[in-house]
Formats: sequence, structure tokens, C-alpha cells
Amino acid sequence: MISLAALSVAYGDSRRALDGVDLSIAPGERVALIGPSGAGKTTLLRVIGANLRPTRGQLQLDGLDPWALSARQLQGLRAHIGKMYQAPPIPPRQRVITAVLAGRLGQWPLWRAVASLVYPLDIDGARAALAPLGLAERLFDRCDQLSGGQLQRVALARLFYQQPQLVLADEPVSALDPTLARSVAVALNEDAKRREATLIASLHAVELALSEFSRVIGLREGRIVFDRPAAQVRSADIDALYAGASNPAASAESSLDAPSAKPRLTRCA
Amino acid sequence: MSPVIPRRGLTLSVLVLAAVLASVWRLDLIAAFAEGQDSLGELFGFLQRFAAPDTSPAFLSKVGQGAIETLAISLIGTLLAVLAGVALALPASGRFGRLGQTASRFMLNLLRSVPELVWATLTVLAAGLGPFAGTLALALHTTGVLGRLYAEALENAPPAPETALRGAGSGAVAAFLYGTLPAVAPQWVAYGLYRWEMNIRMAAILGFVGAGGLGAQLYYALSLFHEARAATLIVAMLLLSLLVDALSGWLRRRLVVA
Repeated sequence: MISLAALSVAYGDSRRALDGVDLSIAPGERVALIGPSGAGKTTLLRVIGANLRPTRGQLQLDGLDPWALSARQLQGLRAHIGKMYQAPPIPPRQRVITAVLAGRLGQWPLWRAVASLVYPLDIDGARAALAPLGLAERLFDRCDQLSGGQLQRVALARLFYQQPQLVLADEPVSALDPTLARSVAVALNEDAKRREATLIASLHAVELALSEFSRVIGLREGRIVFDRPAAQVRSADIDALYAGASNPAASAESSLDAPSAKPRLTRCA
Repeated sequence: MSPVIPRRGLTLSVLVLAAVLASVWRLDLIAAFAEGQDSLGELFGFLQRFAAPDTSPAFLSKVGQGAIETLAISLIGTLLAVLAGVALALPASGRFGRLGQTASRFMLNLLRSVPELVWATLTVLAAGLGPFAGTLALALHTTGVLGRLYAEALENAPPAPETALRGAGSGAVAAFLYGTLPAVAPQWVAYGLYRWEMNIRMAAILGFVGAGGLGAQLYYALSLFHEARAATLIVAMLLLSLLVDALSGWLRRRLVVA
């Protein structure tokens, strides 16, 4: 159970990345976060993943405030949170198997992590994580020999190997072509369904959000615009969410100097 | 309309020429050559005695032992420096706070700014004559050099992999080993091998201040005017450094590029 109450995050200036968010997500829900760029999707995921401390308000993961825990307890909590990123954070020179096995570093004692660097300890486990993604035969290749899409699937295999109770994916498919994007989104959802894990993913592709996830949250300017089951999201909701910001690149520029940004600035001040 | 550059070149040439002439005059080189007909002959005679190296089996086995000692000094000195360099590079890259960074950087600067030969004269005084002093001297200076290079490699490594592993509950050491080490290890190995090539030459010299190896034997041979033996020792040094160059090049290709 994830619950956020009146949660705000402010970066150095007065700008708020998140502004009074109330949200609760039950175990096993598969939530898509959509919204124009700069809406606060990444910030929300970082807060839920206990990577970023909220400026104001409350975050509770299974009834615990992660920022009230000791460093060791926080580390234990994070071991059950799996994360995916737009750019897979895998060292290029690492072997695929090592990159996958790194998923369980939070659960392994240090001696096991060191021993596995010398000789991989769980080859079968890594192969099992890679097999459904069609990469089992690349087990001992180096990651810089893979394409971008293959590397993102290695990151996915690491996540499968970690078997976290909560999966947070920040734009996991934005850098992939549409076919691959769909297959990765489907794989994420299937895995979450099978293990009854909670999945929260931010997406640019609205149709993927509507077709694969159970619940869709629309974010804009740090606030929740709508939050309802995927089946009940109307195209008017989507249009309103992206109105005036249809092009992510254009919206990033316009939020700095275009007149459309003015009301927000005055409201915050 | 571009007389500026030629004129500058001319000025420079005149200045250099003047400097050369002044040096020749200051060192009395012309007088030395004029009266030095027999000293020139002496020089050739000296060199001639180097042309026939001493190849007696007894001496060769002594040279062999010296070569092994020199090799060991350079290898162990460099290995110690790699370990100490890593130990100091981690705090020097700012991983353990501001104080640790300042303290370890000061340490590295201190170690690096004292040359090997100066360290060797100190370690000979502290640890006595012999290979241990040479090893220690090499290790001390090389730690300063490698530690700084290692710290720079750490600072330039992308932070995302390690941060991501920490975010997934990994401990600090494991996250470093799986996230950052793969990015810096090839550079660390390459720098270490390169310093080993330099240290084999330096290990051969360190004997001159009493720190063991081939250098010590060369120093004795030259002091006693055993030119034939000195020639053998110089050839041995040359072969040794060629061997280490080849070995380190081979290792670099295997470990760093592949």
C-alpha cells in the first residue's frame, strides 16, 4: 500500500515539481502516469521510490514513512523496490550476466556479491530472467555489444531477477521503437500480474497506458488532473491534459518564456 | 602585407643563437676541445673497453640474480602502489566527505612531489641498504602518481549505474563494485601497467643510492673501473626493460582493449 498525503516537492527556486498530491495505490495495481513533460512524473516516481525526500506532506509505504527509518532499514526497503529508467544504468563493459545478477545486490550479503564478480554464482537464474526476453544466448556478451533495445531488455531482466514487490519505471519505453516499446510494456505488466506486484510507470505513449495498465493518472504542473481506471479515461481527459503542450519539446521551451507559463508563475509566487 | 610572422621567427632564431653562443662561451667548450685531443682519445678508449662485455658464467649468474631482484622491486613496488593508490583515490574523489578528500589529496601531492631517488635515499636511511628500501621508495612515489590518476578516473566515471544500484537497496561496497568499478577498472589497469614500465627503469637506477638490484652492481662496477662488467649490466638493463615493455603491452591488450 502506497499513500501520499498533501505531498509537495520544491526544488531550489519557488517552482514546485509536485504540489499537494494526494494519492493511494493498492498492492497489485498497475498504474500509468501520463502528462506533458515537466508535469512531475519523474519527481513522483523518485518520491515513491524513497530516492527523493518530499519537502512537505507524508509518504507511507506499507504504513511506514521511509524517511523515519534508519539507513539500514531504508536500504532493506529499497531492496524490494525495482526501478527502470529511460537510459539503462548499466556499465557498458559489464557482461550481461553480471548486469542481471546485480538485481539481487540488495538481498545478497557482500561476500556473495564479491564472489559472483569472480565467477557468476547464479547462471541459471540469470538465464531464466533473460529467456522470456529472447536474450538467453547473449548471457556472456558484454553490454556494449548490445543495441539500445537489447540493453533495455537486459535492464528488464535485472528487474525480473530482483523480483521486487514494487516496480517503478520512469519512461522505460520512450527510447524504443513502437513494436519493442509495446513488448517491453507488456512484459512489465505480465510480470507484475503474475507476481501480484505493484507497477507504476510513466509513459509518453498514451495508447500504451490505456491498453496495458489498469489505472491511469494524468499529471500536469505537479498536480493530479485525473485518476481513474484505464477503461474510463475519455479522449477529452487526454486532450485537456496535453492542451497547449502537445509537443513535449515545444512545451519545455514555452514553460520558460512563453506567456502561457505566466499564470503558473504568479500563482506560485 | 604580413611581415609580422617572419620577423618574429627571425627574432627568435637570433635569440636562440645568442643563447647557444653564450653557453659555449660560458662552458669554455672551444678551449676544452682545443686542448682536449688526448682527453678525446681517452674518451674513445673508455668506450672501447665497454665493447667487450664480461660473459663469464659466474658473473652472468650474478647479473641474473640482480635482474630478478630489479624485476621484483619494480613489480612489488608497483603492486603496492596500485593498492595504496586505490585506497587513497577513493577518499580523494570525494566519496568520504570534504575532510577525507582534502587529507588524501594532500597525502597524494606529498608522495608525488618527492622523486623516487629522494625517497630511496630516505628509505635506505630508514630501512637499511637493499631491495626493500628500493621497493618502498618506488611504492611511495608511484602511489602519489597513481592515486591522483585513479581519483580522476573515479570522478569522470558516470554516476548513474552506482546510484541506480543504491536505489535498489544495494550496499555501498557492492554498488561500487558492480556500478563504478567496470567503468574505471580498464583505466586503472592501463595506468598501473604504464607505471610498471617506468618503474623497471627506475628500479635499475635506484641501486645507485644503495637500494638493491642491477643498479647497485652497476654502481660498484663503474666505481672499480670494471667497464666490461658495466657493459654486461647495461645490456641486462636494456633487455629487462624491453621484456617488461613487451609483457605490459601484451597484458594491456588482453585486459584493457578486449
